[in-house]
Amino acid sequence: MAVTLPLYTHDLFGTYAGLLVGTLVGIAFGFVLERAGFGRARNLAAQFYLTDTRVLKVMFSAIVTALVGMTLLSGIGVLDLAQITVPETFLWPQLVGGLLLGAGFIVSGYCPGTGVVAIASGNLDGIAAIGGVMLGSLAFGFGYGPLEGFYKSGGMGVARIDRLLGVPMAVVAAAVVAMAVGAFLGGEKLEAIFAPRAGETAPASPPRVKARVFGGFAAIAALALAALALPTRGAATPARTAQTIGPLELARELVTAPETLWIVDLRPGAAAAKERIPGAMVTPPGDARAAFAAGLNPTRRLVAYGASGAADLPDGVRKFPGDVYVLEGGFEGWTSAVLTAPVPPANPTPDVVARFQLASALHARFTGAAVAAPVEIRPVVSVPTGPRKGGGC
Amino acid sequence: MSERPFWNPYVAGVVLGLVLLGSFLVMGFGLGSSGGVTRFAVAGAHLFAPKAVETNAYFSQYFGPGKHVLEDWLVFEVLGVFLGGVLGAYSAGRLKLGIEKGPRVTTARRLALAVVGGIFMGFAARLARGCTSGQALTGGAALSLGSWVFMMAVFTGGYLVAPLVRREWR
Repeated sequence: MAVTLPLYTHDLFGTYAGLLVGTLVGIAFGFVLERAGFGRARNLAAQFYLTDTRVLKVMFSAIVTALVGMTLLSGIGVLDLAQITVPETFLWPQLVGGLLLGAGFIVSGYCPGTGVVAIASGNLDGIAAIGGVMLGSLAFGFGYGPLEGFYKSGGMGVARIDRLLGVPMAVVAAAVVAMAVGAFLGGEKLEAIFAPRAGETAPASPPRVKARVFGGFAAIAALALAALALPTRGAATPARTAQTIGPLELARELVTAPETLWIVDLRPGAAAAKERIPGAMVTPPGDARAAFAAGLNPTRRLVAYGASGAADLPDGVRKFPGDVYVLEGGFEGWTSAVLTAPVPPANPTPDVVARFQLASALHARFTGAAVAAPVEIRPVVSVPTGPRKGGGC
Repeated sequence: MSERPFWNPYVAGVVLGLVLLGSFLVMGFGLGSSGGVTRFAVAGAHLFAPKAVETNAYFSQYFGPGKHVLEDWLVFEVLGVFLGGVLGAYSAGRLKLGIEKGPRVTTARRLALAVVGGIFMGFAARLARGCTSGQALTGGAALSLGSWVFMMAVFTGGYLVAPLVRREWR
């Protein structure tokens, strides 16, 4: 079956259509949060006094639904998972940020999304909470200087649990289903203890609803596991190896996030030994060449390059379980784009100047040369650009 | 008009999951909240101190040629969340002014605590690169290790602090 999802890869949406889709997705999101009872702080706070574990039930049911859905769709070859944006992992700030956000959650009674729904329902404490979130965001930005080191610590790039464990996504999805159902039943047991103590009735879900929801999760997870046997899976993989990365983009990644990359020099040993991209690994000769990339941690992206143009990827690189990129132009492309000083633009528009400044900063960074003098921008009509791709909350 | 009941939490979760899945299948990424709220805050601060905001090491990512801080997918999604919330509350007969709090806390104290908790959350969401929507829900469904660490930490932080603010709720 042909890979057709996600839809955005078909270039259906311009800037404004994308924003319209965003608004529609938001309307659905807000409506469901309201119907879930999340516009009321007491419904949310009850999670932390165990009288009503509604937050756990809604959140985990949602995660499981989206997870098993994506797993099955990619398993039957309809969804290309490589086109899905997965939030990057920065272990320490995410651990500390989670603890702080949890503390803020029980003190304010909302999280940022539910706070917006609270305002929409007329709850004035929601305005106070969201006002606080705004102040806190600004405080982070203005205190960013000393925080930057910690903010970037524990960086692992896109670290998907299934890849870290080296098992198919369907196996992890099935485990998450089992864990979630266990957590739901545990939550109901705790409600039965803590709700009566607080003089409330434990919220009971009809057995029929639970049987359908839990049974549905298990059935889709089982189908996704069964889809592992489909031959289409193998056919979908080689298409992924065609991704390319430009030399300037690679240079920028090397400066900002070197921990997310493996760089592999595919040229013969002598050429690679003489000069190569900083941090690049030289491929071992002979039989070891076929196996070495398969042993690298797949949470990083692998960038391979040859002498020029598109290099033939050896089997060892093809077997790398993570995302593989080929450097456009190979080492020649790197030399001309990064190691050669960029020429100041003749007709400077803001976009051209921004590109020149990036190129000259990267040139300086990788060669030690002085940064080129700034270029004066003459007023021109600016070109609107599309919305930033990517999640982020 | 009497109030409609809330949905069963498991059913609400499945429907929320379908919205999240739909976002992944159409746009290639999931949901978010704090990112949009942050952009509104930055746009507000920009009215008063444009230079300070534009040259800020963290906020400068929102500015540049051809960029507007509010012209962003997340901003429109958060506006949608508000509209969807109004629609939900109105159609369920729940659209009325009020303040959510326990019986033993004054209104002033409750509002002050809401602001303080909000400040913690706003700071934490930027530090963690997302909140319960962008990290826990979205990254959780996409099996991101950092998002699962974040989610477990949110519950841990909540349970650790809950006994201290019991009077606010119970």
